[in-house]
Amino acid sequence: MGFFEALVDIFTSESTYINGALFAALLLFAATGEWVAERAGTINISVEGMLLSGAFTTAVGYDLTQSAVLAILAGICGGLIVAFLQAEMSHRLSADQFVVGLTLNILVLGLTGFLDREIDPQTKVVDTWEIPILSDIPLIGQALFGQPWPFYLLYVLVPVSAWLVYRTRFGLDVRAAGENPQSADVSGIDVNKRRRQAIYYAGFTSGLGGAFLILVQVGQFEDSIVGGRGFIAIAAVIFGGWTIRGTIAGCILFAGALSFRLSIQGLGYQLNSELLQSLPFLVTIVGMAFFAHRVRPPAALAQPFVRGLK
Amino acid sequence: MTTVAEPTTNEKQASRIRQSARLGEWLVLYAVSILGAILISALLVTATGGEWQSVVTALLDGSMRNPGRWGETLGAAAPLLLVALGTVISSRAGLVNIGQEGQLAVGAAFATYFGFLIGGPGPLNLLVLLTFGAIGGALWAGIAALLRFWRGVPEVLSTLLLVAVAGQAVAYGLRWQWLLLAPSASRGNRNQVSEQLSPDRRLPNQVIFGNSFPISVYLAVIIALVVAFLLARSIWGFRLKMLGRNPRAAQHAGVSQNRYGSTALMIGGAFAGLAGAAMLAGGGFAFGNFQLVPGFSANIGWTGLLVALVARERALVCIPVALVFASLRTGSGFVASTGVEGRITDVIQGLLVLALLVPPAVMFIRDRRRARAATTART
Amino acid sequence: MTDNEQWLSGAGEWSFSPAPIVELRGITKRFGAVVACDDVDLSLFPGQIHGILGENGAGKSTLMKILIGLVLPDSGSITIEGTSCTIHDPRDAADHGIGMVHQHFSLVEPLTVWENVALGDGGKLNPDEIRNRIGELGEEYGLIIDPDARVEDLTAGLRQRVEIIKCLRRDPTVLIFDEPTSVLTPDESQQLFKSLRTMVASEGKSVVLVSHKLDEVLTTTDDVTIMRQGRVVDQMDTSETNAPALARSMVGREVSLRAGRAALGHIELDIKAETASETETVTEPVLTITNAKASGSSGQRLLDDLTLEVRAGEIVGVAGVEGNGQRPLADLLSSLLPLDSGTVAVNGEPVSSSSPGAMSRAGIGVIPEDRHDSGVVLEMTVAENLVLVDPQRVAQHGIIDHKALTRFAEEMIRDFGIQCSGPNAPLWSLSGGNQQRVVLARELADHPKVLVAAQPTRGLDVGAIEYMTDRIREAAAAGVAVLLISSELEEILDVADRIVVMSGHRIVGETPRLGVDLEYLGLLMGGAAV
Repeated sequence: MGFFEALVDIFTSESTYINGALFAALLLFAATGEWVAERAGTINISVEGMLLSGAFTTAVGYDLTQSAVLAILAGICGGLIVAFLQAEMSHRLSADQFVVGLTLNILVLGLTGFLDREIDPQTKVVDTWEIPILSDIPLIGQALFGQPWPFYLLYVLVPVSAWLVYRTRFGLDVRAAGENPQSADVSGIDVNKRRRQAIYYAGFTSGLGGAFLILVQVGQFEDSIVGGRGFIAIAAVIFGGWTIRGTIAGCILFAGALSFRLSIQGLGYQLNSELLQSLPFLVTIVGMAFFAHRVRPPAALAQPFVRGLK
Repeated sequence: MTTVAEPTTNEKQASRIRQSARLGEWLVLYAVSILGAILISALLVTATGGEWQSVVTALLDGSMRNPGRWGETLGAAAPLLLVALGTVISSRAGLVNIGQEGQLAVGAAFATYFGFLIGGPGPLNLLVLLTFGAIGGALWAGIAALLRFWRGVPEVLSTLLLVAVAGQAVAYGLRWQWLLLAPSASRGNRNQVSEQLSPDRRLPNQVIFGNSFPISVYLAVIIALVVAFLLARSIWGFRLKMLGRNPRAAQHAGVSQNRYGSTALMIGGAFAGLAGAAMLAGGGFAFGNFQLVPGFSANIGWTGLLVALVARERALVCIPVALVFASLRTGSGFVASTGVEGRITDVIQGLLVLALLVPPAVMFIRDRRRARAATTART
Repeated sequence: MTDNEQWLSGAGEWSFSPAPIVELRGITKRFGAVVACDDVDLSLFPGQIHGILGENGAGKSTLMKILIGLVLPDSGSITIEGTSCTIHDPRDAADHGIGMVHQHFSLVEPLTVWENVALGDGGKLNPDEIRNRIGELGEEYGLIIDPDARVEDLTAGLRQRVEIIKCLRRDPTVLIFDEPTSVLTPDESQQLFKSLRTMVASEGKSVVLVSHKLDEVLTTTDDVTIMRQGRVVDQMDTSETNAPALARSMVGREVSLRAGRAALGHIELDIKAETASETETVTEPVLTITNAKASGSSGQRLLDDLTLEVRAGEIVGVAGVEGNGQRPLADLLSSLLPLDSGTVAVNGEPVSSSSPGAMSRAGIGVIPEDRHDSGVVLEMTVAENLVLVDPQRVAQHGIIDHKALTRFAEEMIRDFGIQCSGPNAPLWSLSGGNQQRVVLARELADHPKVLVAAQPTRGLDVGAIEYMTDRIREAAAAGVAVLLISSELEEILDVADRIVVMSGHRIVGETPRLGVDLEYLGLLMGGAAV
């Protein structure tokens, strides 16, 4: 069977779009918050840990209450706990943000792995809501409007985040803190507080992402279930040049690479599984290689702010 | 503008008092942080129905007390130390390399491939193996260096993403006999393993009081001494530090960020790769059977990175820290027997690192406040 | 100076003002062992322009930072309109009606004008309201600006406008201007002072003008407070004093205005006699920059067809308003800015602009504008900073000989009078002036062919300025080609043999110091076609 035939098959199959939408949604939940955090000046690599923590607390929450809504709230808390540690350590104590993020990722990985074996929470995928008419659109209807209901939170989250950053006082402060913290400080903005808040926002959206992972995409918590997709979300923000539109585009592109594996196997094609598994990471690296130098990052990205320094 | 007078005896005494107060501050901060981490770990064990006392006993037994165990711990510490030293070098240049896990895997794969390809007599082959391990790790880190200095991709992210790719690439290589897979006679069906190193190509073991460990332990310590010396005294180390602390001043002074940065990143990778090769040729409890398998790096890269973070850019401090982390690792096998999930050691490790980040961060803020006070007042 | 009398007569009308708006009593602030403000009293009255005059480091910045809440005082009281209060941060200050126009601006470049104006307010963001307000204020004070322009596209003068509007929008009763003229052409400065007078006269606001320039204070203010070493040493009506008296109390000793004029911002034009001995000997240029063009990361022009020559033993002063390419010029000569086109040559030998350290190897020493940016490594020791460029001099086979390093450092510390606790003191523990000496020592130690000094005296006190200027003169006398880049015209007039003017990222004109025409110079600086 030819390669192009396979490609055509993939692009005309509805399941490709459904899988793609699920992966893109997970990335977007994480990337939206990460975008806000980066606009404020933090490369928040603990987003991976936030997703994982959110996923685990969602699972526990669902196991305890059997309520998806409460489980999602639990997931948000899970994300926020990691955000709390990241924010306080990197922007109150001024420990190096990468070091803190990395340590948190490793800690959360160990902790959820440990607790998962001790508790082993039971969960399942929640109900699907079919949006009338829209879900009948060929190819993409089911993917965008025939998903389990937490998927639709995204339709609120992304525009709200964009509004928050571009139209509100909070967003203005956040952008100022990311571009020129010294000026922001002199203007009366508490830079580190805004940066912490932006990280909390990332914790919030990643917590939602973790809940999405459990209640929509997988249905059951597993050890290291996130598998580096938090990092891909960070890459999507960079790829997207720190704009919300670019970030969405990045998420869709990288999600395509993630879902390619499922699609191609689902259609009965055989391709080396190792190559397929590394594909999303390769696409991400190549994507950044092409775009990273063309975009301008927030000027103070990844630089700690201590008043009076410089 | 106030002129600074010669310090009087009184001032000298005061500064001595200040210094000892500072030392006290450090000690208290560290003690509180470490105790906190241990306390949380103990609570966690108790909350999940385990006994923390037995966990401590198991950790000590597993890492030191039982026969032969401290040899194992030393054996595990060697690659950790190597990885950490590489990390110290790249972070000295201001680069955040967090892809050691992948660089280590690629190093081990290179060692396997070229070791069998080139062959030769045992000791010589061992040298080939270690050399190509280092080259493999350096090349893998070189990709990140290329992306960073040629395409502007942050090395934090590229090294990280390359970890995932490295794992898959090695597993892929283990599917093909012309790459890494062992000839079918020497392996079970469909097992992804490489051919085993013959005994004359392995690292010799040193046996002391029934504890045996590969001589890579000595190698790692010697390298630590050399790295510490070079960083502190050589022009190269001087320039790396300049680059890490003020890249623009470095560029003015003729230190090419591209060249020195890439070199530092690649040396970091080379050390991780060397650690991989040494694990392959050293074998033993932690690192399998002198053959490459998927998932060979077994978190040594990650843990080695943590060692470097805790040691905060100081090569010699890496030695004791590597020992502590190796103990946690060799002890974890014994924890499972107490009925507590063995991954508790991962948690302890994470909490410990997190706790150790606190004192320097607090002191940094205090020092900066003092420094700022001194400079703003004068300028 | 014809405006002088006019302002002074204006001041007379207002000197009977009643209760002060702001009253500072016994303000003291210590930083470690150093007292930045020592028992300072200050009263600000409505309808007056108050000058605060002092050398750099006299404590005026700290005092103003206390007033707008960036620094908390150790003791003392602040009374605003009769009520005693504490100011915790700039927003607090704004609530109390105190605003400040910062010397180095508090603007965020990628944001638009209206966003910057709104920065730091509380409450809901209402773009239209802010845009309208910018329009109103612009008309009221003659500060017209497009609210939707991006700040990074604006000139320094316009940025200051934004800064002022940002301040005025909160309708302050007290406005602080910190060294406002350093970014303005002489003409723009005059305009600014007219706006200030409007604010004071028509609305009874109180304006504080922080400055180290005598002329500025003399012509503009109603009364003046002089600070020295953290203390208020004198307070008087501006009409009752003159330049020599002010200078004396500012520096604390008798200064010949001639020697210290650069530092005190006082221009006297009777310099012809002194320089008459100069002979026009035309030698081959040492430093030649030809048609240099360079652009920044987002495509903005940094150098636009710049051509410049400096001969051996000559001091060429580059005058111009800040932000017209002076920084890129210094960066180019520090190997920090690669050229798109054009060449740099030393003694006719071309030097690569893209190879790190090439300029330094070719014999160009640089004292950078912001030493923390590219001049020193704060975390390294004094000794290490002294050999940043050339560690080989104290090394053998690539290994640094610590004894040799210490010996070399001690020698430099002695020769250049660097005050520090020893060669191993971390650089951040030194005062600004001494950090600057470390840079100077290092860059001169290599016996450069060219010395570039970018704003070399900024932030230094009079003594340090005199020292720095002497050293630059000495270097030139020893045959070094010196390029002095400064936004302080007084400094250039004092030191340079030949003056070139930068505007719009290029050299727009040239004049010998002999018989310099200030008006012509001002026009050039303002970018007028000549």
